[in-house]
Amino acid sequence: MKIKFSDILRHLFLAFLALIWLIPIVWLVATSFSKYTGMNTSTFFPEEWSLINYKNLLFASDSVTQFPSWFKNTFVIACATCVVSTAFVLMVAYATSCMKFKMRKTLMNIGITLNLFPAVLSMIAVYFILKALDLTNNHLGLILIYSATSGLGYLIAKGFMDTVPESLREAAYLDGASEARVFFTIVIPMSKPIIVYTIISSFLVPWMDFVFATLMLNSGISSNWTVAIGLNNMLDRMLLNQYFTQFCAGGVLISIPISILFLIMQKFYVEGITGGAVKG
Amino acid sequence: MKTVTNKFSNIFDSIMSGLSKYKEAIVKGDLFVKLSFLWMGAGYFRRKQYIKSLIITLFEIAVLVFTFTFAIQYVPKFGTLGTVKQESVFNPITMQKEFNNYDNSFQILLFSLVSFIVWAIFLVVYIRNIYRQYQLQLDEQNGKAPEKFKDYMNKFLNSKFHITLLALPVLGISLFIIIPLIAMIFVAFTNYDQKHMPPTELFTWVGFNNFVQLFGGGGITSTFGYAFVRVLIWTLVWAVFATFTTYIGGILLASLINNKRVKLKKMWRTLFVITIAVPQFVSLLLVKNFFADGGIVNTICANIGLIDWLRDIGMINTTYIPFLTSPGWAHVMVILINIWVGVPYQMLIATGVLMNLPNDQIESARMDGANSFQIFRHITMPYVLFITGPALVTDFVRNINNFNVIFLLTNNTYTTSNQALANSQAKEIDLLVTWLFTLTRDNYNYKMAAVIGIVVFVISAVCTLVVFKRLTSGDKEGAYR
Amino acid sequence: MNKKRILSVLLCATMATSIFAGCTQKQNQSPNNNGEKPSVNLTMWGQEQDQQMLQGMIDDFEKEYSKYADIKVELGVQSDAKARDRILTDQEAAADVFSFPSDRIQDLASAGALQSIDDMSPVLEQYAGKTVDDVKKANIEGSVEAATYDNTLYAFPMTADNGYFLYYDKNVISEDEVKSWDTLLSAAEKSGKKVGMILASGWYNASFFYSAGFTTSQNKDGTTNIDWNGTADYSGVEVTQSMLKIASNPGFMPIADGDMSNQIASGKLCAAISGTWDANAAQTAFGDGFAATKLPSFKIGDKDVQQKAVVGYKMIGVNAHSKNAGWAALLADFITNEDQQKARFEIRQIGPSNKKVLEDPMISENITASAVVEQSKFGVRQDVGNNFWAPTKTFGEIVAKGQLKADDTAGIQKALDTMVEGVKAPIE
Repeated sequence: MKIKFSDILRHLFLAFLALIWLIPIVWLVATSFSKYTGMNTSTFFPEEWSLINYKNLLFASDSVTQFPSWFKNTFVIACATCVVSTAFVLMVAYATSCMKFKMRKTLMNIGITLNLFPAVLSMIAVYFILKALDLTNNHLGLILIYSATSGLGYLIAKGFMDTVPESLREAAYLDGASEARVFFTIVIPMSKPIIVYTIISSFLVPWMDFVFATLMLNSGISSNWTVAIGLNNMLDRMLLNQYFTQFCAGGVLISIPISILFLIMQKFYVEGITGGAVKG
Repeated sequence: MKTVTNKFSNIFDSIMSGLSKYKEAIVKGDLFVKLSFLWMGAGYFRRKQYIKSLIITLFEIAVLVFTFTFAIQYVPKFGTLGTVKQESVFNPITMQKEFNNYDNSFQILLFSLVSFIVWAIFLVVYIRNIYRQYQLQLDEQNGKAPEKFKDYMNKFLNSKFHITLLALPVLGISLFIIIPLIAMIFVAFTNYDQKHMPPTELFTWVGFNNFVQLFGGGGITSTFGYAFVRVLIWTLVWAVFATFTTYIGGILLASLINNKRVKLKKMWRTLFVITIAVPQFVSLLLVKNFFADGGIVNTICANIGLIDWLRDIGMINTTYIPFLTSPGWAHVMVILINIWVGVPYQMLIATGVLMNLPNDQIESARMDGANSFQIFRHITMPYVLFITGPALVTDFVRNINNFNVIFLLTNNTYTTSNQALANSQAKEIDLLVTWLFTLTRDNYNYKMAAVIGIVVFVISAVCTLVVFKRLTSGDKEGAYR
Repeated sequence: MNKKRILSVLLCATMATSIFAGCTQKQNQSPNNNGEKPSVNLTMWGQEQDQQMLQGMIDDFEKEYSKYADIKVELGVQSDAKARDRILTDQEAAADVFSFPSDRIQDLASAGALQSIDDMSPVLEQYAGKTVDDVKKANIEGSVEAATYDNTLYAFPMTADNGYFLYYDKNVISEDEVKSWDTLLSAAEKSGKKVGMILASGWYNASFFYSAGFTTSQNKDGTTNIDWNGTADYSGVEVTQSMLKIASNPGFMPIADGDMSNQIASGKLCAAISGTWDANAAQTAFGDGFAATKLPSFKIGDKDVQQKAVVGYKMIGVNAHSKNAGWAALLADFITNEDQQKARFEIRQIGPSNKKVLEDPMISENITASAVVEQSKFGVRQDVGNNFWAPTKTFGEIVAKGQLKADDTAGIQKALDTMVEGVKAPIE
C-alpha cells in the first residue's frame, strides 16, 4: 500500500490527541517516583527519582497510609459487588428483554424514573437504613449499597440482549427448553461481551466511590477504609505536603490492575460484539 | 390526554372487576375460604396443599410479628413525628447516662414508611389469597386436580421465570432506592434542619412551606431563589455541553481509529483507555492540582510567557491563570476536563457500535450509488442513534446529577466572589447536586436539600421522558434483530 | 457486641456499687465483690498528625486506670476541622471522646452532642482526685471560657495555640520591618519575594475588623451578630480600604484557604501569616532565618493600628451519647491534664492551655510558642455561627481579587451590607 500524505497527517493527529490524553497520567507516574514528598510545582518531572514512595506505601504503614489493608478491603468489596451486580444486571436485562409479562413496561418506566433522582439526595436515608440493620462501619453494608441497586443499570445489557435473534430462543422453546434453560444455555453464552463489560464496570465501582464510603465507614479506624477514602484523605490540606507523592504512587498501584481489566474488557467488547451475537 | 383517561378507566375497571370477584369469593366461598380471612393458609390446608399452606401461614405470622413488635413503635407517631424530646441524666454510680424513652423523628418517618410498604404488599397478597382459595374451591367442585407443589415451583423457572429473576433486584432497589427516596420526599414537607436534628431534637410536618420559601423568596435569605435560578441555568448548560461534547467526541475518535488506513488500532485505543483506567477521584484530584493556581501548568505558562500575554490583553488580572478558581475559566475548564474523562468511554461504546454496522445495507446502498455522506446520514447515523439513543438520554440525566467531576475539581478551592450566591452557600460552579450536597453536609439543611432534589427530578423528568418516549416509541426493540 | 456491652454495663454497675456500698440506695443490685474489674471499650478521635502521640497517651491512660477497670481505647482518625460535620451527621456513631476547635463548641453543644463536664464532677473526684473547678483553674481563662456554653463547661481545654501570627525570614526582613505592614511589604518587594496571607476566610480577614474595634457574637439560636458594615473605632469602609491597600501592594500575595503550606514550601514567600501547624514548613523554607512574631500594625486612614488575631483553642469533648460517658470523661481529662499537655508540647510543639505548662521555660525558648504568647495579648476569641463563614469568605475573595476599588465607598458599603445580611441570616 502506498503511504499517502493524509495517512501521515491522520497518525500525527492521533498521536497529538493521545499525548494530550496521557500528559496527566505521565505526570502521575513520574511524580510517584519523586523523592520529594509534596507537590512539585516548578518542574514537570521530579528533580530526584526514587522508589521511596512505593516502599513506604507498601511496607511502612502509618496511621495515614494503610495501603495494603485498604487495597485488600476494596478488593474484597469489589469482588463481591461484581458477582452480585453482574447477576442482577443480567437477570433484569433478560426479564425485560426476552420475556413478555404484564408489569414489564410499568417496571421499566419506574426504573427510568428512579434514575432521574440524584443519588446524593437519599444518601442520609440510606445511611439510617443501614444503621438500623447494624451494617454501618461494615464492608457488607458497602457491598449492599453498591450491588443491591445495580439492577437499575440494566439498560445497556438489555439493549445488547435485544440484538440476540429471537429465532434462536424460539427454536429452543420448540425443543422443550424451559425459560431458565434458555437464559443459561443460550442467552448468557451469547452475551459474553456484555457480561465482561458489566463485570468490569461493577468491579470498578468500589474503587471510584468515596462519597458513600466516607459516610458509611465513619468510625475513623483507617485500616477499615477503602482505597478511595484513604487516598482522598491523603490530599487533606494538612497532609498534602507530606503525602502527595505517595498519593500518586497509590493511584498508580490501583490503576495497574484496573488497566489490565480494561484491556481485557476492550478485547471482549470489540471482538465479542463483532464476532458474537449478531452474526451467530 | 386521551390515553391517560383511558389508562385510568382501565385501572378503574380492573379494580372493579377485582372487587366483584372478591365479593363473589366472600358470598359463595365455603367455610375454609371464609376461614382464610383469618388464617391465610386455611384454604390450602383444606385442599391438602400443605406446603403452600405452611408458607402462606408463616408469611402471615411474620407480618403480624412485624406489626406488633416493630411497626407499632413508629406508625402511631407518624402524624406528629414524635412528641417526646430526648432527656438524659448522668448516673455517676454506673458511670453511664440514662435516657428517657425519647422519639427520633427520622426513625419514625423512615420506619413508618417501611411499615406502610410491608402492609401494602401484605394487602395485595391477602386479597389475592382469598380469591385464590375461592378458585381452588371452584376447581375442586369442577373436579379439577389441584396443582402439585412441584409443578407450581417449576413455573418459576418457566412462565413465571421473570418473578424469579426480578425478585432480588427489585427488593434491593426498593430497600436502597425507593424507600430512602420516598423518605426524603417526605422530608421536603418537614422542618428537618440544623435546629431540628434527631436524636436530640424533633422535627415535624410543615406542609408546602419549604417550596414556598424556595420559589416565593422570604424566609431563609432573600437570595435563595436567585441562587437557585443561577445554579439551575448552569446545571442545564453543563448537562447539554457535557453530554454532547463527549458523545460526538467519542464517535469522532472511534471512527478516526476505525479507519481502514489507521495502523495499530489496538495500540491507539489502549492509549486512550488507560486514562479511564485510573479511577476518577485519582485522575480528577490530580488534574485539579495540575491546574491549581500555584500548580505546574501555571508555572509552565509563566515560563513561556503566556500569563504575561494574557495579562496584557486583559484576560486575567492575577499572577496566575485561575483555571479552576474563577467563574468563566472554571466553567470552560470543567467542560474540557470532562471531555478528557468522558471521550474514551464514549469511544469504547462507539467502537462497539460502529463495528457492528449493518454492512449489507451499506454495501447495497453503495451499489445504488450513494455517497459516503448519504450513507452516514441515512444508515450509519440512524443506527448509531438507535443503539446509543437511550444511553444518550441517560447520559444527559447522569450529567445533570454529575457529582464527581464538579465536586472533585472545585471542592475546597473554588471561592465565589458573588455575595448573593455566597449568602445561600452556593457557588457559580455548583450544580444542583453539589449545592444540595453542601447544604446537607455543612448546613444540615435536609429539608431544602430535599426540595432541590425534587426539583432536579422534575427537571430531569421533563427533559428526558419526552425524548425517551420519542426514541422508544413504537417499540422498535425488534427492528435490528 | 451487644452481649459484651450488656456485660460491661453489669460489671460497671456491680463495681460501682461495691465502692459506694453503704452510701447509695442502689444496694439491691447484687454486690459481686470478687474483685472482678469491669471491661470498658471506648473510642476516640484524633487528628492524623497526632495519632502516634495519642496512642502513647492512651496506653498511659489504660495503665493508669487499670486498677479500676480493663479499659480498651480504640483510636480513630478525624481531622479537627471536619469533626463537627462528622459528629452532627450521626451523633450516636461518633467516638466517645473527640477533639475539636473552639469555634465549633456552640454548634456541638446546642445540638446536644456534648456531655456536660460539670455533671462529671463526682466521677473526677472519685477516680482522678480533682474537681471540675480544679480543671477550670488549671487552664488559662480564655480556654475555659471557650469551652463553656450557657454557663456549663462542655469540654476539657487542651491547647491554646489555634490562632495565627507572622512567620518571617529574618535574613530578608529585619526585626524592625516586621512591626508594620508598610515596612514589611516594601522590604518584601525589595527582595523580590512576597508576604502571604489568606484573605478568603472569615477566620483570617476578621483580624482587620477586630483590630478596628468591630465584634462578632453568637446568639442562642445559632445566628450571628455582626456590625462590620457600621462604625466602631473606625468605619467598616475604612477598614476595607486598608485591606484593599495591602492586597494591592506588589509585595503582597493573597493565598487561597488551605494552600498556605504549599506556598510557604514553594519558597516564594519571605513572610506568611499562619499558625503553628505550618511551623515545620516555615522552618524548612526559611532555614536559619526562621522567625516568628505577632502580627504587624496597619494603617487605617493615617492612624497606626496593631493588628489583632483570632485566638482559638482546641479541646476534648465527651459524646453525650457515649455508652460509657463516665470513663470517657476520665479519658478526656487524662489526655488534657498537665503532664499530657507538657508531653504534647515536647513531642509536637503544640501550645498548651495549662497555666503551669505555659510557665515552663521551654515555651519562651520556643520561637513559635513565644509568638503565640505574644500574639495572645492582641487576641480575640471568635464566637460566630455557621452562616458567618461563606459570606465572609467571599468578601475576602473580593478584596483579594481587587474587585472593589478603594475610592468606591458606596460599592464597599454595599458589599459590607450584603455580607452582613448573609452572616445574620437565620439558621435553617
